[in-house]
Order: sequence, then C-alpha cells, then structure tokens
Amino acid sequence: MWRQLHLRLRSLFRWHRQESELDEEIRFHLANEIEELTAAGMSPREARAAARRDFGNVTLIRELTREAWGWAPAERFLHDVRSAIRGVRKAKGWTLVVLASLALGIGANTALFSAVDGLLFRTIPVPDPDGLVRLRWTGDNGAVRGMRTYGFTRGDGVQGSFSYPVFEALRDANETLAGLFAVAETPLTLVVDGRAEVATGFAATGDYFGVLGVRPAAGRAIGPDDDRPGAEPVAMISHRFRQRRFGPEEEAVGEVIRVNDVPTTVVGVLPPGYTGIRRPDALAADVHLPLATLPRPERGPRLSDGTAWWLPIMGRLKPGATAAQVQGNLDGVLRAAAQSALASLLDGLSEEERALPRNRNLSAEPRLLVDSGRQGLFDANPRSSGQALVLGVVVALVLLIVCANVATLLLSRAVSRHREVAIRMSVGASRGRLIRQLVTESLLLSATGGALALPVAWAARGLLPFGQTSPFDWRVFAFAAVLSLAAGMMFSLVPALRATRAEPSDALKEQTRSVTLSRSRLSRALIVVQVAVSLALLVGAGLFLKTLSNLRGVDVGFNPEQVLLFQMDSTRSGYDPEESVALYTRVRDGVRGLPGVRSVTVAQTALLGGGVSIGTVHVEGATDPGRATHVLTVAPGFFDTMEIPLLAGRAFEAHDDANAPRVAVINAAAATELFGTDDAVGRRFGFSQEERGEIEVVGVARDTRYDDLRGAAPPTVFRSAVQSPLRAATFAVRTDGPPSALTPAVRETVRQIDPRLPIMNVTTQTAAIEERLSTERLFALAYTAFGGLATLLAAIGLFGLASYTVTRRTNEIGIRMALGASSIGIAWMVLRQSLVLVAAGAAAGVGTVLLAGPLVASLIHGLAPTDPVTIVQAAAVLGVITAAAAWFPARRATRVDPMTVLQNE
Amino acid sequence: MTEHASNRVELLYGTLDLLILRTLLYGPSHGHAIAKHIQRVSENALRIETGSLYPALHKLEGRDWIAAEWKKSDKGKRARYYRLTLTGREHLTVQQSRWEALSVAMARVLRPAE
Repeated sequence: MWRQLHLRLRSLFRWHRQESELDEEIRFHLANEIEELTAAGMSPREARAAARRDFGNVTLIRELTREAWGWAPAERFLHDVRSAIRGVRKAKGWTLVVLASLALGIGANTALFSAVDGLLFRTIPVPDPDGLVRLRWTGDNGAVRGMRTYGFTRGDGVQGSFSYPVFEALRDANETLAGLFAVAETPLTLVVDGRAEVATGFAATGDYFGVLGVRPAAGRAIGPDDDRPGAEPVAMISHRFRQRRFGPEEEAVGEVIRVNDVPTTVVGVLPPGYTGIRRPDALAADVHLPLATLPRPERGPRLSDGTAWWLPIMGRLKPGATAAQVQGNLDGVLRAAAQSALASLLDGLSEEERALPRNRNLSAEPRLLVDSGRQGLFDANPRSSGQALVLGVVVALVLLIVCANVATLLLSRAVSRHREVAIRMSVGASRGRLIRQLVTESLLLSATGGALALPVAWAARGLLPFGQTSPFDWRVFAFAAVLSLAAGMMFSLVPALRATRAEPSDALKEQTRSVTLSRSRLSRALIVVQVAVSLALLVGAGLFLKTLSNLRGVDVGFNPEQVLLFQMDSTRSGYDPEESVALYTRVRDGVRGLPGVRSVTVAQTALLGGGVSIGTVHVEGATDPGRATHVLTVAPGFFDTMEIPLLAGRAFEAHDDANAPRVAVINAAAATELFGTDDAVGRRFGFSQEERGEIEVVGVARDTRYDDLRGAAPPTVFRSAVQSPLRAATFAVRTDGPPSALTPAVRETVRQIDPRLPIMNVTTQTAAIEERLSTERLFALAYTAFGGLATLLAAIGLFGLASYTVTRRTNEIGIRMALGASSIGIAWMVLRQSLVLVAAGAAAGVGTVLLAGPLVASLIHGLAPTDPVTIVQAAAVLGVITAAAAWFPARRATRVDPMTVLQNE
Repeated sequence: MTEHASNRVELLYGTLDLLILRTLLYGPSHGHAIAKHIQRVSENALRIETGSLYPALHKLEGRDWIAAEWKKSDKGKRARYYRLTLTGREHLTVQQSRWEALSVAMARVLRPAE
C-alpha cells in the first residue's frame, strides 16, 4: 500500500514538474525570439508583440502539449477536473442556475428516498434481524373476547395479537426457536422529580432483551427474573427519554420514577441506535417494563385471561431452523390453546348466558402464520406508501425537468465550444478523450449539485408525514451520490456526443448549418417535455389547493372557533373509574371559573380530533346482526358548548344520572340510517342483541363530522358520560377570546387539583381540524413548489433558446427591418417560435393530466381530477410566465439596428 | 480568420513530425532553434505558428523517437535540448523513403511530359 501511495505521489509530482518545465521551455523560446528580433532592429515592444503573434495562443498550446503527454488516468482525471472548474467559473450565472436546480431536484428525491427507505427497506436495528420471525394467525377464533392491535397488519383476517396463556403454551412447546417473547404497548403516566407527563410505554416478557441481543448503554437489561408477578418493579428507559428527563446515563440508573403511580426503579438505559421492534421507522418507547409488573390499568386481569388477545409475539430461529418448521412445531399448540380457552370461557357461563346468540355455535380453529420479523412486528402503513408514491412521481418528474434543462444549457455551451473542440480534434486529440472531458465537466456539476442537495434533503424531510425517524446515514448519502452520477451522465452524454460528432475540417470552416439545426431540434423537444411536465404539476397544485380550500370550507356541523381542547387520563395516575368521574367534574368546574371561559364540556374524544370510537348498534324490533355506528360519550353541556343545534327532543339533563333509565342523543344521519325516520325520539336500541331495548333516544342533533371531513357526516350515537363513565377525557373549553391564551391558566388549575395529573395534547379545535388536512397540505405544498420550480426552469430554457435564435438570426432580422418589416412583425416572428413550443408542451401536458388524473381521484375533494377550470388556469399561468420569458429576446430582436447589420455584412 | 488558421493547422498535421525528425538528424537542438531551422530550410514557405511545435515535440518524445534533456544553451541559459533516438532514426528512414517515393510520384503526375 505504501508503494502504491508513493507511486501516486511521484506521478503527481511528475505532473507538476512537467507543467513547470513546459512553462520554462516556452519562456525560453519567446526570450530567444525577442532577442533575435531586437538584434534585427525591432524595438523591444514590437519584438515582444511579434514573438507572441508568431508563437500563437500560449494557453491552447500548453493544453495541446499536455494532451501529448499521455497521462495516467488519475492525472488526466485531475486535469479534467481542473479545467472543468475553470470552465464552470467562467460562466457564473449559468453555473448558479444549474447547481440550484440540481440541488433542488436531487435533494427532493433524496429526502423522499430516506423516508421510503425507512418505510419499506430497512430492517429493525438489532443484531442479526434476519433470524427473527413474527407470529400471527388467521381463521375462526371464538376464544377472542377482546382484541388489541398496535400497528398495521397486511392481509385479510390476519391478526397479530395473542393471549398470555397462548404465549405460555407456545413457549413451553417450542422446539424450533432459540427464544420467543410477547410484547404490549401502552401510554403511561410518569412522574419524574414531581413533574407529571405522558410517556410511551413498552412491556415485554423476560426473554425480550436476551432474544433480541440488545445490550444496555448503562446499567443492566431487564431479564426473566424481573418478569414475575410480585417482582420489584423495574424499568429501562430509552436514550432519547434519558436525554430529555435525566442527566448523564450513570445518574439515570437507580433513579426511582412513578409509572402510573407505582414507584419503579430505572435499572438500565437503552443504546441510542435502538429504536424498538415496531417498524424500522418507528421510535423506541420512552419506558420499557417487564410484562408481569406492568401497572394498572393496562395489565388488569389480562395475564391469566385466555379471551384477551393483546400480545404480539416474536422469536428468534434456532440455527438452521426455518419459519415453516416453526409453523409445523407450533400450529397445533395454538389451536389447542385457543380451544381450551374457548372451553373454559363456555364453562364459566351460566345456562342463560350460554343460550345467547353470541355464545352459540362457537369454534376455535386459528391457523398460525410465521414470517420474517426482520422489518419488525408491523407492516408499512398503506396510506404512507400511497403518499410516498404520489410524492415520488412529483420529485422524479422534477429531476427529469432539471436534467432536461441542464442538457439544454449544456447544449448551448457545447455549441459555443464547437470550434475549440474542432481544433483539438484536428491536432489529434481522440474523440473519447474530448467526450471524457465534457462528461467530467457535467459530472463535476452534478456532484456539486448532489452535495448541495444533502442539506436540501435534510430540510425537505421535515415536511414529510412519514419516515421522519429513519436515520440520515450512508444509505442516504449513497443514494444521493448514485442519483447525481446518473443525472450527470444523463444530461452530459447527448451534448458531448453531439459536440464531437462533426468532422474537424467541416467545423473549422464554419459552424455548419446542420449542427445548429439539429441542436435546436433537440432543444425544442426538451422544452416541449419541460412545458408538459410543468403543466401537469401546476394542474396538480391547483387541484390540491382547491381540495384544501374545499375541505376547509366543509360545514362540520358545530362551531370550531374559539374552542380550546386538552386531554387527561386519570386512571393512569392511580384513580379508580368512579374517582375519575368526580375528578373530571372538579376539573370542569375549576376551568369554568376562569375568566374568559364561556362553557366547558368533556367528551371521550374531540370531534375531528383524530380519534374515533365505533360500536355495534342493535335497533329494537330489528333482527339484523347490528350496524357499526360511530359512538361518542359526552358530558352534559356538550351540545351547548359545541353549538350543535338539536333538531328534535332534548339534550342530556341532570336527571339522566347513573340510576336513571339509559338515554342517548343521535344525529340526523343516525336517525335516518337506523330508524328510517327524521323523528326518532322515543325509539330504542342497544349495543348488543340482548340489550336491544335498553337505551332510549331522547334527542336528535344536527349532523356533525366526527373523524373525516370528506364524505357525508357519519351516523353517530351520543352516550352520556354520567351513565357510561369515561376513562380518558377530552375537555373542550369555549372561550371569549383567543383560546390558546387560556392554556397557562388551565394548566395551573389542573396542577392545583392534582400535580400528578398530566394534561396532554393541548390544542385548539381549529388546529385539530387543520391537522386532519396534513396530507392535503403536504401535497398542495409539494405540487405548488415543484410546479413553480419546473415552470421557472422551463421559462429559463425557453429564454435561452429564444435568445440564441435571435443572436443567430440577427443579420436576417436586420435585413428584414431594412426592407420595411415592422417591429411588431419582427417580435411576433420570434415569439411565435416560442409559443408553438409552449402550445405543443401544454397539449402534451393536458394529455398527461387526462390520463393520470384518475390516479389521484381519491385524494381530490369537491372537484374532478380533470377539472377543466383548473386545467385552463394552470395553462394560463404557464402561458403568461413562458410568454414573458420569450418576450425579452423578442424585444431585443426589435432593437436590432439595420444599419449596423448591413455594415457588418 | 477562419481560413487562415485552418491552412496552418492542416499543414501541421502529419508533415511536422517528419520535419522535426529531419532537423534533429544534424544534432541535438532546442525548440526555438528547430523552429528557425524549419523556416529557413523551407525558405519560409512553411510558415507555422511556432508554438504548434511544442505539442508535436512532446508527442514525439512520448513515442521515444526523440529524447530531451536540460542543458546550458550557447548563450548560457537553461534550455531543453532534443536529440534523435535510435528508434526515431529508424522511423525517419522509413518515413523519408515513403515520402520521397510519394514526391517522385507527385512530380511525375504533375509533369508527365518530362
């Protein structure tokens, strides 16, 4: 290796020596010549000028001589880079445009890649992820009475959660896995140093860290001994959480924190690179606990309950074992465990209960599914993949435009360098060598653009709704590098081949007509492509902007202005459900007493706040299996505070307490959907077949949106929080002034009632609704920004082409003017050429929109994806901008002075 | 301008190599002296941009037909002296006989009467 380096250095040295020797040789030649000429009687000044003239172009001679040296590839490359930098420096404005557009084009693609990489391609950050398998099941399973899912699972009827007894059965019968573990996720309320907050929690059985092979950054990992009922409660915390709430790692270990009001010792800190096993793009939960000591209310009686299916399971294959062998090993075990759970479920029921429809004809035949766990427990969310696809099309198109644009710009430079190239070819420079030099220049540009793209990508990634947590590492850099290289090759090869194709003798005589003609034909084609893509993007921008404004204009059915929202979950701070009701009442009364508050109400979740609860409604007298209906549990005063008018009947009143007959308010859509009438007051329904007549409808409210701004308002049933106590609660505060101004006072009020109670998700109702529109906002932003960029680039390209045409045709224009052509006529002659290209591009763009429009139909709201008005508007914007770009050269054409031209002829 | 340059360059191509080798047959010489000699013997009929000599010299050096070394010139300054190598001499012999054959042929074509 040293010898290699030595040789390399020596050849570099040789290069420098050769350069300086050549300089000295030329200096000697000139000095000699000057001496001779002065001796012959010339003045020194004349002699110097004559010697130089006789010698020729020193720079060119030097360059040609270097070519004769026949360097080693490395030297040649360095030289090419140096001369490329020289060339690029000469054209500053040109370089700036190229670099800026490359940085944006490559940056946008890189940002999306880093997000999609985390979404689709990465593996979870644990040792040997390929050895992991995840267990899931499908098929009929009557043993399920409660099911919890935590992430997206692809496949119809595929379930990812198991009961704890099933886990134990699988663990005991296992012969193919080196180890397996069950996990659960849950939010937790933590009190650290007397300050309460909501944190993400993750509980796992004792083998979790051993099977994964994750080592703690400090302290120790949770082990099987910690995962026993009655064990001392311990926790591990994530690196991020340690940074946020504790000092150095050593100090965090041994701290006692309260987890859902249970004192818990922090025994270890997770390493920074560990982000959990959910998904490669997820973040590690703040607090990791053993499953057996998971505090209430999360664990409840679930550990021994064979009907609560709430635990995803993962394992590590024994060396040489396959997923199919695991399936063969454990499939029967799962079925037997499910059947025994079903049997004991039925055993525990009374005679009447067993006769109920929901308990009749039950069977349990789950089939075990085993597949790779290298990408974590869950599948990628199809919503994110869909968004990634839409954005991917945009950024790819933008890069295409950028390449087309840079190719156009390089073509025009290639033409201006045509003579230089021809001379060099005539003195024997090989075509390959010249192409290499032109390509080097392009690659230098694209590499610089690629480097500038990295900060752009870093910034742009923050705008994406997914994949934000995947690391910005060598994979991303490699992608940017490969993309830069590909882009560089793409936009350099055509101009380079073209520039060196002409015969030297031909080109030396004059820039031949055929060369200029074919150049402009290619440039025109590129501009047509750019205009077409720009139009498609502008139409997209228009569609998404209108969708956004249509969705913002949707009548939500209540008054979202001046409402402050915040959430609270007292059961995670040690409260019983009954205590919670009293607590929420105290909080409500406290907040109502604040100045500037008009009224306060509590609901299970905020309308359009992102949460939704769906129950099965069985109408009295009907025999159907029940209808899935939106359900919202609300406290008294809800309809007043949210300003939802009642169309019939009454709202909840004080006498509708826990002992009174159960009542409900439904919305108009539910009245029609469930009862087939506007006036449903007095009708009855229940949430199970046995309870069909249990709940009486006392009022019908106006339709409100619940979880989605699109489509019709969903049929919704409102239950009273007094009769169905809330666990977690969302408070809605109607204020006189700006709602956010009340936040500090609300926090203080809650703190005085109980400092252990954290309030979460403080926001306003309007901000919560705006949050629903994040995808649409992102698309509108992306299309507008990139549509604008594409249009700008197309305009620059058009400007360049028109300017070039005017320069080339100056003589013709002068003669025409001398013959009496009007300024307007001349301007039109130039403009027309550009407008023909714009028209062709626009036509192609409209065609693209008509073809591709239906693909985004599901994302558009309130107008067709091929909305003619939007298309016309986008075309108008494009037309104005491109016409302006073509106008400047046209004006220059009208200022050609016929006299000057004729004198030059 | 264009015509002018192209005439010179085309004259350079191919023939210059031979002229240089021929000049160096008389002994080692530096670039300036070679240029002067070529102009003198061709009686200024072959006017070249003297600078064009250098790419050619370096190319011939690369082919090992000539070799170079730095020596003091007769006026005491450091100059790069070129001399013919053995392979260069062989190449010159081959080329020269080919060139002479061509000249004879050309002369016959141009003056068939004689």
